Amino acid sequence: MIYIFKKKFIIKVIFIVLFFVLLNLYQKEVRNFFYSISSFFQKSFWFIGKEINNGIQSIVFLHKNQRENQELKILIQELLSKTAIISNLEDENKTLREALGVGLQKDFKLVFAQVVGKDISQDYLIINKGAKDKIVSNLPIITEQKILVGRITDVYDSFSRVELITNKKSSLEAKIQGKEIKGLVKGKNNLRMTLDLVPQYEEVKEGDFLQTTSTGNIFPKGILVGLIKEVQKSDVEPFQKIEVQPFFNLKQLDNIFIITEF
Amino acid sequence: MIKKILSLVLLFYFLSLLQTSFLVHFSVGGRVLNLVLISLIILNFIRYFNNEVLITISFIAGLFLDIFSNHFIGFWVAILLGITFFIRFILKRYVQI
Repeated sequence: MIYIFKKKFIIKVIFIVLFFVLLNLYQKEVRNFFYSISSFFQKSFWFIGKEINNGIQSIVFLHKNQRENQELKILIQELLSKTAIISNLEDENKTLREALGVGLQKDFKLVFAQVVGKDISQDYLIINKGAKDKIVSNLPIITEQKILVGRITDVYDSFSRVELITNKKSSLEAKIQGKEIKGLVKGKNNLRMTLDLVPQYEEVKEGDFLQTTSTGNIFPKGILVGLIKEVQKSDVEPFQKIEVQPFFNLKQLDNIFIITEF
Repeated sequence: MIKKILSLVLLFYFLSLLQTSFLVHFSVGGRVLNLVLISLIILNFIRYFNNEVLITISFIAGLFLDIFSNHFIGFWVAILLGITFFIRFILKRYVQI
């Protein structure tokens, strides 16, 4: 009797182990199937959630928004004057390039995609483009405003998984805009990240912008990464502790672009 | 019993979708409420459902969470089954007469 019971139990255990081994072996197909049947509902929920969140935020942060609006108006005026200077410089640059025979840098080749979901525990996104759309691993993801979001890690038939730059596994080299200070941007999960390997003697200010460098060959050069949020200097540590706020807003992230060539 | 399980499977599928697509917009400090886990814990305290239903549902809810997360398939299944067994054990030993 005990022998039969033991035999049944062992068979059950073997069956369960086999079931999970098979599921993990064919996880791409399994996940793709579930994403396919769920994408319509996920897209709808994503849209509804975004709209409700926008509504709540506009009510809750009305006063804050008014103040921000004033600050932005001033910033726009400053930027307009800078744009005029940049426009002149662009013309000058173009003339010089033509004179030197150097071709203008090609724009990126982009593929449009939509976000359908987010990983519940880690900083991952699921997008509605996959192997069928000739998407491969490690392609960079940016927003409409050319802000870095992350890179593709897993590709399924019609969907892909995007590792956000705030994911713990993510790290990339970045430099501070307008300065020659380089560092390593490391994800810390929950939409947080830090800038490491910046020596104590370097002058990093809160509000500085970070952009990608060409090192690593995964991300194109000059894409906005984030904003310096907090700088902590210590004589004991060799490097500064710098908190970085990502530029992308996950709650507003609907449409993204996959850079297929740069 | 099958009716109960089927309706709960649909409910947990809906909750998984809600968690990965809707609740993301209401995250606090980047953290999203784990609706499936909370619902399963509450379900464990409802006497209407017997052990078989709860174990089956923990298994299926875990599978849904695994599929919509980046963990290997079986990670959430093990966690949810563990929680269900633990709650049932405590209830049987210390609470129920």
